[in-house]
Amino acid sequence: MDHEHNCWQCGSADAGSLFCRYCNSLQAPIPDYYAFFGLPRTLSVDTDELQNRFYSMSRLLHPDRFTRRSEQERRYSLEASSILNDAYRVLRDPIRRAEYVLKEAGYEIGEQRSKDVPPELLEEVFELNMALDELRMGDDGVLPQLDEMRRRFLEMLAAIDAALETKFQRHDTRPDDGGKAEVLEEIKSALHRRRYIRNLVNEVDRQLSSRNA
Amino acid sequence: MAYSDKVLDHYNHPRNVGSLDKQDPQVGTGLVGAPECGDVMKLQIKVNPATGIIEDAKFKTFGCGSAIASSSLATEMLKGRTVDEALAIKNTEIVNELSLPPVKIHCSVLAEDAIKAAISDYKTKNGVAAETAQTA
Ligand code: FES
Ligand SMILES: [Zn+2]
Repeated sequence: MDHEHNCWQCGSADAGSLFCRYCNSLQAPIPDYYAFFGLPRTLSVDTDELQNRFYSMSRLLHPDRFTRRSEQERRYSLEASSILNDAYRVLRDPIRRAEYVLKEAGYEIGEQRSKDVPPELLEEVFELNMALDELRMGDDGVLPQLDEMRRRFLEMLAAIDAALETKFQRHDTRPDDGGKAEVLEEIKSALHRRRYIRNLVNEVDRQLSSRNA
Repeated sequence: MAYSDKVLDHYNHPRNVGSLDKQDPQVGTGLVGAPECGDVMKLQIKVNPATGIIEDAKFKTFGCGSAIASSSLATEMLKGRTVDEALAIKNTEIVNELSLPPVKIHCSVLAEDAIKAAISDYKTKNGVAAETAQTA
């Protein structure tokens, strides 16, 4: 990511990303989350390191520190603080992070409500719907079955998460022009599958709690 | 969105809801899902082996009103047809019959897929798999 620019204040070229290295004025924040944190675009992220950066940058960028500075810098500090919070929320979570990288790389990731049915799951999804139907009709006899299904879905989620971790590492070690796209494609379908199963678990939980209510 | 009267009729009074014995060699089961919305549909046929005529059809659909109506209608269309006649059923017939709007066409496609899946399951069970696999 190229973010070389001229300082808006002193005009120096190659001003540096957060503060100008020559006049120390706050620069327009870089909207890209990785570049903002000064991190390489990897899917595996050292979250301790991320947290350290987050805390120190929060201090540096805090709007209170800019009350006596120029209007421009006050605005930048507000913008930067909000990007900082968004970026931290996204990058510290592996799933959100991967979704972000995919989205920025131009991959369509489904909307929240889009649910790809993994074909090998059809049978179970059907069974689940049957059981939920019976639960709605007041048959508590399906509760053990629902618990069991819920447990299996959670296991699937755990398996997907483990697989994602490996895929992240594969992605990170491949050169930009050599096969990253292929791994991203795999990650995308794993994320879809994950979301689908996550929705199933949520649905079970929702129905169980509305029954108790 | 407003559903047509025919959709509402099938939705409120679905025909042939239920299931047939999956293990029965005369029964073919199709289970399909719509990737767009996550709806799932199960459709089963029971074929008379002597005549090749579909004598019974059942469905159970978890999904939108149009998907329920499409599968309900599909089971009605299937009964009394031979397996080969049933294979010729196109989703457009369902669309026309139910006056489905364009956004609901995929619901009828799901029903057509379910018919095809049920027939192919029946054929597989009865040893005519090779022939269908080639024409598919
Ligand atoms: S909206 Fe999914 S089948 Fe109709
Ligand atoms: Zn400067």
